[in-house]
Amino acid sequence: MSASTHSPVLKHHFDNLEQQHSAERLGMWMFLVTEVLFFGGLFCAYTAYRIWFPHEFEFASSKLILWIAVLNTALLITSSLTMTFAIRAAQLGQKKSLINYLVITFLLGAAFLGFKAFEYYTDYQEKYVPGPIFQKAYADAQHDLTHGHHPEHSPAAELAEHNAGKQPGDAGYLSPQRVQLFLCLYYIMTGIHGIHILVGLGCIAWLVLEAGLNRIPRENYSTVEVVSLYWHLVDMIWLFLMPLLYLTGAGLGKH
Amino acid sequence: MSDDSHGADHAPTMHDIDKPSSLVVVFLIVIGLSAANIGLSLTGLGKLALPVQLAIGVVQACLVANYWMHLRRKDTVVTLTALSSLFFMFIMFVLTLSDYLTRHYAAM
Repeated sequence: MSASTHSPVLKHHFDNLEQQHSAERLGMWMFLVTEVLFFGGLFCAYTAYRIWFPHEFEFASSKLILWIAVLNTALLITSSLTMTFAIRAAQLGQKKSLINYLVITFLLGAAFLGFKAFEYYTDYQEKYVPGPIFQKAYADAQHDLTHGHHPEHSPAAELAEHNAGKQPGDAGYLSPQRVQLFLCLYYIMTGIHGIHILVGLGCIAWLVLEAGLNRIPRENYSTVEVVSLYWHLVDMIWLFLMPLLYLTGAGLGKH
Repeated sequence: MSDDSHGADHAPTMHDIDKPSSLVVVFLIVIGLSAANIGLSLTGLGKLALPVQLAIGVVQACLVANYWMHLRRKDTVVTLTALSSLFFMFIMFVLTLSDYLTRHYAAM
C-alpha cells in the first residue's frame, strides 16, 4: 500500500487521493449533465417559440431592463474568476486567502441576486408580469387610447399604442398573448437560474465554514473544486440566458 | 498529463494548479466577449443577431469549460461525460424542432 492510505482525508474505499479526486469530479460532472439537460429543455422551448413568434419576442425582450442584465453578467463572470482563485488558494494550502476568495465570490453572487430581485420588483411595478396584471394594463391602455386619453406608461401601454388601429392578423400587429409567452419563459428561466445561484451561495457558505474549521486541508482541495464546477456551470448558463432574453430586442428599431 | 502529476498522492501537483495569469486572461476574454456581444446587439445586427450572439456564447462556454472547469486536464471519462450532455441535447433539439418547425406542412 502506498503512503497515501494514511492521509486523514482519504476514504477507505479509494486506493489513493488521485483516484478519490477523480471520482468526486466525475460525480459532479454527472450531476452537471442532468443540469444541462434540464436547462436544455427550457432553451428548446424558447427556441421553438422564438422561431414561431420572432417579432413578439423582439418587442418583449426590448422592454426588459438591460443595464441590470449587463451589470449582473459582469458580477457573475467576476465571481467565477474569484472561485478559480479560491481553488488555487486551497491547492496551495493558503487558508486565509481561500476564505477571502470564497467570501468575495459569495458577495458577488449575493449582489447578483439582489439586483435580480430589484429587477423583478421593477418589472412588477411596471405591470410587466404575464397573466391578469399584464392583460388588465393592456386593456386599460386600449380603453384610454380609444377615448383619446394618454395611457399610463408601461410596456403593456406601449404594446397597445403599437397595435392601435391594427387588427389581429394585420402586418405589424403584435399579439399580447405571445408577448406574455416570452414573459413566462423569462420568469421561469431566470427564476430557476436564480434558485441555482441561491443553492450555489449555500454551498459556498458551507465551504467558508469548513475552511474556517480547518476541514479543507491542502490535499482535499477538490471539495472546493467540485463546488466551483457547479458555480461555473450556473455562470455558463447565464452567458446564454443573457443574450437570448435581454439582447434579442436590444437592437429593435435599428434595422 | 505530464510526468510530474504521477505518484504524488498527497498534495496537488504543479500541473493541477492554475497559473493566475492564465485565469485572468480567460476572465478578460470572457468578459470582453460579453461586452462585444452587448455592443454588437445594441447597434442592431438584424438577422445576424441570433447566430452572432450564440457563437459568442459558445466560445465563452468553451473557455469556461476548458480552463475554469479544467476539461483541459484531459481526464477522458470526465470529458466524455461533459460531451454526452451535448449529444443528448442535440437529440432533444432535433426531435422537438422537427415537430414544431414542420407543423405547417400538415395544413398543406
